[in-house]
Amino acid sequence: MATETTPNQADRMEQLYAQRLKRYVTAMRNEKPDCVPIRPFVAEFTAKYAGYTSQEVSYDYEKAFAAARRCAADFDWDAVVGNMVYGWMALVKAIGLRYYAVPGIEIPPHSAFQYLEPPEDQAWMREDEYDLLIEDPTGYLFNVWLPRVSDDVVPIGQPATFRNNLSFLKGGMAMLQYFMGFGTQAERLRKESGTVSAISGILKAPFDIIADKLRGYKGLCMDMYRQPKKVLAACEAMMPHLLHVALSGADPANNVPIGLWMHRGCVPFLSPAQFERFYWPTLKQIIEAIWARGHQVLFYAEGEWNPNLKYIAQLPERSIIYHVDRGDVFEVHRAVGHKFCLSGGIPNDLLAFGTPEEVRACCKKVIDGVARDGGYIMDASAIMQDDTRVENLRAMTEATREHGVY
Amino acid sequence: MSDKQAKPQAKRPPGTCVPWEEKVKELPPISGDKELVERLWKDIDALGYVYIWQCLLSF
Repeated sequence: MATETTPNQADRMEQLYAQRLKRYVTAMRNEKPDCVPIRPFVAEFTAKYAGYTSQEVSYDYEKAFAAARRCAADFDWDAVVGNMVYGWMALVKAIGLRYYAVPGIEIPPHSAFQYLEPPEDQAWMREDEYDLLIEDPTGYLFNVWLPRVSDDVVPIGQPATFRNNLSFLKGGMAMLQYFMGFGTQAERLRKESGTVSAISGILKAPFDIIADKLRGYKGLCMDMYRQPKKVLAACEAMMPHLLHVALSGADPANNVPIGLWMHRGCVPFLSPAQFERFYWPTLKQIIEAIWARGHQVLFYAEGEWNPNLKYIAQLPERSIIYHVDRGDVFEVHRAVGHKFCLSGGIPNDLLAFGTPEEVRACCKKVIDGVARDGGYIMDASAIMQDDTRVENLRAMTEATREHGVY
Repeated sequence: MSDKQAKPQAKRPPGTCVPWEEKVKELPPISGDKELVERLWKDIDALGYVYIWQCLLSF
């Protein structure tokens, strides 16, 4: 049920929202706002804070939305993701997806959900199926991949079943319901706490999605040696589709960025030479095409990406918000801070095991080092799960408000 | 690169499961507003595309 607000409260929330949106967007354009915006990627942390288990927020998205709103109301944050836990495990089970370990079922209810990668010889896409994928990616996904990753969907040519038919009906309607829920969530965040929804739309690098959901990381590593031209052709074939999906979910007002979540592009998963040949060309083209339409990309560089900074510097100025995880945030600032807004850089282990005083000192050091001229958004290095201490996140928030004023 | 620049030989361009050109051959001659039929076919067909690609990307 929506929280009742008086006209005065509504005006105040709208003013707060406008102030925060301006602050957030100004920083993302690599300019100097009134103060450093705070946009924490809080995932399972929200469950812990709001008193839910990981099972509850991953299985019941209304609880996940409620937990995110609770945090947004209690902390002075400029922007949050409507549901950073994101994966909806009830839908996963409704359509029988096999590549998850679900809290409360395959793993304990307090654990975050996990992706499972099958053994190399049972990869969701076999090593001799590249031509099928390259010729018709959408057809391949429907006809080969989905029957393989789902308990209920039967392969083409086999008799249809009740469970097969129901999978598409339930899955399609439930997915629509979930995505529509994000619109309502954005409105509630705006009206109830004056908080901006931080991103809109989703992008994955072609190489990443082939590694994550098709060949598996180990299989794809072998393919880079055994059939490199097929890998490159598959990335090319996926590229226009990933661009299309990204644009279809983008913010029509061009305010907030499309989220790009990267997994296997960094050292040590790929060498810089492999990155240059396999990972980068198609992703670069997609980002350039998105930027040509006026949308920024939230470049979530999970892991250690500093060896790839010379490639990232090739992107158009302001086309991305570079989120720093394991990389040295000061080195990133020296290399690309003149071109792109940065975010992150507060170590997750510090937020989990450090003291509030240590967190405050770290935030001040990062602000002093990379935020002097604007173009910086405060956040942890990686998505915050339930090991982040509440008092440390509060310290990060307070230190940013204290030291991040221009 | 443009999202419209799918390779010419692509069976299913981005946003498409069953192309209109394929579907229209199955229909009797359209006596009414052909553009309306085509537009709504594409709009609903695109939902199938969203489903499979979001299964891949988001779930």
